[in-house]
Amino acid sequence: MGALGKPIILMVGMYAFLKFVLPNIPGSAPLPSSLIFLYLLLTASGIVIFETLSGESKDAFWGPIQRFLTGENIGGLQSLRYGVFILFPLLVGWQTYGSTAVSDLPPTESRTIHPAPPGEYTGLSNPVPKTPENIMQGKGFYAAYCSPCHGGNFDGKGPAARGYIPAPANFADPTTIAMLQESYLFWRIKKGGVGLPIEGAPWKSAMPRWEVELPDEWIWKIIMGEYDGAHQSPRTWE
Amino acid sequence: MKPANQIIGQVLRVGIGVLTAIMVGGVTIGFAQESVSVRATLMTGGVPVDDPNAAAWSSAPPATFPMSPQVHWQNRIQEVTVKDVIVRALHDGKQVAVLVEYADPTQDPDDAAALEFMVGDKKAHFAHGQPMLQVEGGPVNIWFWKNKTAKAVDMNAKGFGTLKAQEHQDVKAKGIYSNGTWKVVFSRDLSTGHAEEDVQITPGQFISIAFAVWDGRKDGAGDLVEKGSQKAVSSWWYFRADAPPDYSGYMYAAIAAALALGFQFVLIRKLKKGQSA
Repeated sequence: MGALGKPIILMVGMYAFLKFVLPNIPGSAPLPSSLIFLYLLLTASGIVIFETLSGESKDAFWGPIQRFLTGENIGGLQSLRYGVFILFPLLVGWQTYGSTAVSDLPPTESRTIHPAPPGEYTGLSNPVPKTPENIMQGKGFYAAYCSPCHGGNFDGKGPAARGYIPAPANFADPTTIAMLQESYLFWRIKKGGVGLPIEGAPWKSAMPRWEVELPDEWIWKIIMGEYDGAHQSPRTWE
Repeated sequence: MKPANQIIGQVLRVGIGVLTAIMVGGVTIGFAQESVSVRATLMTGGVPVDDPNAAAWSSAPPATFPMSPQVHWQNRIQEVTVKDVIVRALHDGKQVAVLVEYADPTQDPDDAAALEFMVGDKKAHFAHGQPMLQVEGGPVNIWFWKNKTAKAVDMNAKGFGTLKAQEHQDVKAKGIYSNGTWKVVFSRDLSTGHAEEDVQITPGQFISIAFAVWDGRKDGAGDLVEKGSQKAVSSWWYFRADAPPDYSGYMYAAIAAALALGFQFVLIRKLKKGQSA
């Protein structure tokens, strides 16, 4: 194999690991290609440092590369050598074109889904007693005011939802109301999309500002109805 | 056993393959969300401002956008006729034309459609530039067309109840109905002298656009079903007029390739000299 074979196998193995193995580890996600490239670059630097530690290993490492590049005694590899000489400038040219060409893509916008609420909306507790009647009433208000977008099944798939981006929240999803406190929902329902801070991209949200139409008591009842209907519980301080 | 050279050759081939895969992978990720914008194709010789059926429209890529009943503010509506709009756009460096196409089973005098743009640098809420509580918003510019008046109105709004026609009417519109489909062309100069009120369209730059449609049908009692705020609306999407072709990328690529080629020559010469010494 020689001193050159192992590093190359290591590089290929590293790439395969980052691209195919790592994303499949639970809790992980596919890595962006720029990050994979950075990791490979670090691996390559490590290999070069390691291989050039001593004079012997340095010769063993560079020797085959040098022979390949100068084309001495490489026999059948001669055509591959020319291939590399043609391909390398083309790749450099291609990469340069790719990085200077004007992008056809719209600007990417990051949007925080659950931005921090204003101070006065943290830690409020639901003043309405959690009775079956109140929950029932809350579900009735939900059906009238919320279900057109958030859906009769609390899944965010109401008949009016399809054109709106961001899509109405799916309350059955464990990453929405289940990880929020009632106080937070009270803020979001009361102030609506226009009440979001800048990181929540308020200009895009269709959520009405319900404080202009519904009394606070109804909003608290709606919150109860939502949790009950979506089979979720509000987050509490452990 | 294979000669070492052959093995190195194989490994190198794999390495090049991997490198290419990384590059190709990086490039393809970029094209994932093309349909989120309207692209106004650059054309030569006047844009077809009066003709929704002009042949030139076939050179503009269509983009489809979903519509929702307007529920953000009163008076709401729960169901609307138009579910999608198909949008194309063309420009010639001076004028821009936007073709909005949608299915509507009946032609009614009150059928209407509108484009909405953010004006200036400030973000505006898609619902008529409704004031936001934590963000200072800007106005919206609305281009409104109605079948019975057969013309466009150039308007501004900054919140509910502030919709007002401008003193300077710069927008034209023409609608044609056939086979259950409306095709409406809105047109205007790319830039106007009123940057405070009118959206300014600079080729190459993305701006925000939204759509609204009213089906002018009447219910059993003879009242309009869709009117005013009771309409089909879209969220914000992006709009961009194509910039004139720019070939500088090819030049930079050629320079970079030439430099790489030169580097190869110098490197190999050095290596060969070193070997013979």
